[in-house]
Amino acid sequence: MSKNIVADLTAWVRTAAGLSMTIAVIVAIAATIHTGPYLLVNTIVTGGMLALVATGLTLMLGVLNIPMFAHGEYFMIGSLTAYYIFTPISEFILEHPDSWLVTFGPFIAILGALIGGAIAGAISEKLVFGPLRRRSTDNWVMNSFLLTVGLSVLLVNLHQLIFGADFKGIVGYWQGMPISIAGAYISLDRALAFIISAVIVALFYLFMTYTRTGMAIRAVSQDITGAEIVGIDIEKIVLLTISLACALAAVSGGSLLFMIPSYPSVGLEPLYMAWFVVILSGLGNILGAVVGAFMVALLKVITVEYVGAGWDFVVPSALIMLILIFKPSGIFGSDVRGVLDK
Amino acid sequence: MLLEVKNLNAGYGYLQILRDVSLQIDKGEYVGIVGPNGAGKSTTMKTIAGLISPMSGSVVFNGEDITGLSGSAVAKKGISFVSEEMNLFVNMTVQENLYMGAYTIKEKHLKNERLDFVFELFPRLAERKKQLAGTMSGGERKMLAIGRGMMSNPSLMLVDEPSFGLAPQLTTSVFASLEVLIKNGMTILVVEQNVTKTLAVTDRGYVLENGKVGLEGNSADLAEDSYVRKVFLGV
Ligand SMILES: Nc1ncnc2c1ncn2[C@@H]1O[C@H](COP(=O)(O)OP(=O)(O)OP(=O)(O)O)[C@@H](O)[C@H]1O
Ligand SMILES: [Mg+2]
Repeated sequence: MSKNIVADLTAWVRTAAGLSMTIAVIVAIAATIHTGPYLLVNTIVTGGMLALVATGLTLMLGVLNIPMFAHGEYFMIGSLTAYYIFTPISEFILEHPDSWLVTFGPFIAILGALIGGAIAGAISEKLVFGPLRRRSTDNWVMNSFLLTVGLSVLLVNLHQLIFGADFKGIVGYWQGMPISIAGAYISLDRALAFIISAVIVALFYLFMTYTRTGMAIRAVSQDITGAEIVGIDIEKIVLLTISLACALAAVSGGSLLFMIPSYPSVGLEPLYMAWFVVILSGLGNILGAVVGAFMVALLKVITVEYVGAGWDFVVPSALIMLILIFKPSGIFGSDVRGVLDK
Repeated sequence: MLLEVKNLNAGYGYLQILRDVSLQIDKGEYVGIVGPNGAGKSTTMKTIAGLISPMSGSVVFNGEDITGLSGSAVAKKGISFVSEEMNLFVNMTVQENLYMGAYTIKEKHLKNERLDFVFELFPRLAERKKQLAGTMSGGERKMLAIGRGMMSNPSLMLVDEPSFGLAPQLTTSVFASLEVLIKNGMTILVVEQNVTKTLAVTDRGYVLENGKVGLEGNSADLAEDSYVRKVFLGV
């Protein structure tokens, strides 16, 4: 029995997924011992944020076949919404330090970001993607890609025109004492940002795995004609998927507002990072995207720490190119062919 | 009359395939469409199933005009389409695929009743219910596609090429399962390459050529027809 487990474990470690995850864990432990636990904390907070953006991107790609390059702008919309909701709340808190808003105000702002993202996604489907899909699905991937690039430019400039190009940030969400875990001090904001993303990713996973609607989304991603045949309303699922994907990015932007202020092109970095994750973990693989998010976050944090701050895009992208040369379907690429592979 | 298709014209983009196709099916009937490759048999089925919207003509099901409805709306009316390509959900298990087939049924116990029925008809699927559909053999996939089509308890099944790519023995068992469905009161429209087999099992048949209905009648008569014998059976 125990021999079997050992054999299974060694077999797993030898797969691309197992190998890269094992290396990642070893690197994380080594770097933590070498420089201190804050490195691990940074990785986890960045990874949690990235997981939200990357699962949204995975949804857009896997379910709708849209290579989304405007996804960062929904991150931006989330942080902007949270900023405009939280600023009046924090002024109110200054005058009424005993109010329940001290604890719950930030949640309202983050929830607002989530809803704002969902609405923005639904509007984009109604005004941009839906009309293109009904007009023609020839060359869909290329056309929808170009559309998202245009959408990105449009949203960045709209932000600049309406709200200005300056940084719209807040001092912090929660004012409590930092929590100490194993010698590392984690601010309440960071800890809660991570918990929020962990809870949302878990809920999202359960939703996709066990609910009727989640199964319908997966069915559409695997075979759209099959989904239509069994009676799934494709238009409804598409609308839901886009707003869900955008809401995931927006809630990420909202919960990180204390760290990353909102400005027109704030979405660029999360977008690039999320694309690294999606390419690395295999297109359209949701669980893979979550694991991949933490790996890319680790890579980025370690690069900043050991190579220098300017290198945090160079090293991860170089490594990803290398991985792709050896494993083109991504490290979690599944053995079963899906619609995208046809 | 369960299904009445009148003067259907349909195709892909500007390319017209079907020309004034008309056919009728009564409740409980077992009807076949035969014809050479590229005749428009699958196109006819896809148009009835709502996957293609027709240029003109009408499809009336259960007295209700369903022309131009989307595929999912047609499915909700009680028409189940088992396509040539099967369109299975490859990353889902056999059982998940079957449950998806019952998507239009909300009550869990009704879904499970259907599942038991399908498993009884195809014991092979029951044995492999935890296997991913994408890893099944061609014949097993065909069974799964037919099984999935039965899960919604449809009043009409459109089955495109049930025996395509199957060994003779499996072909016999797939046709036997359709036979069981007919005995249970199901109405089936089947498209087949295998003309002899189709005309032997069905009640009535249509011969489709170049997008037009050439001949129609009782299957037994069609099988005796000199034109059919010459063109399709080579005798
Ligand atoms: N998606 C499509 N786009 C354009 N033309 C198509 C498409 N699908 C089928 N056709 C054309 O329509 C015609 C009829 O095709 P259809 O699939 O209905 O034939 P069939 O009778 O089912 O043939 P087979 O016995 O080979 O399955 C063919 O000439 C085919 O090339
Ligand atoms: Mg065909």
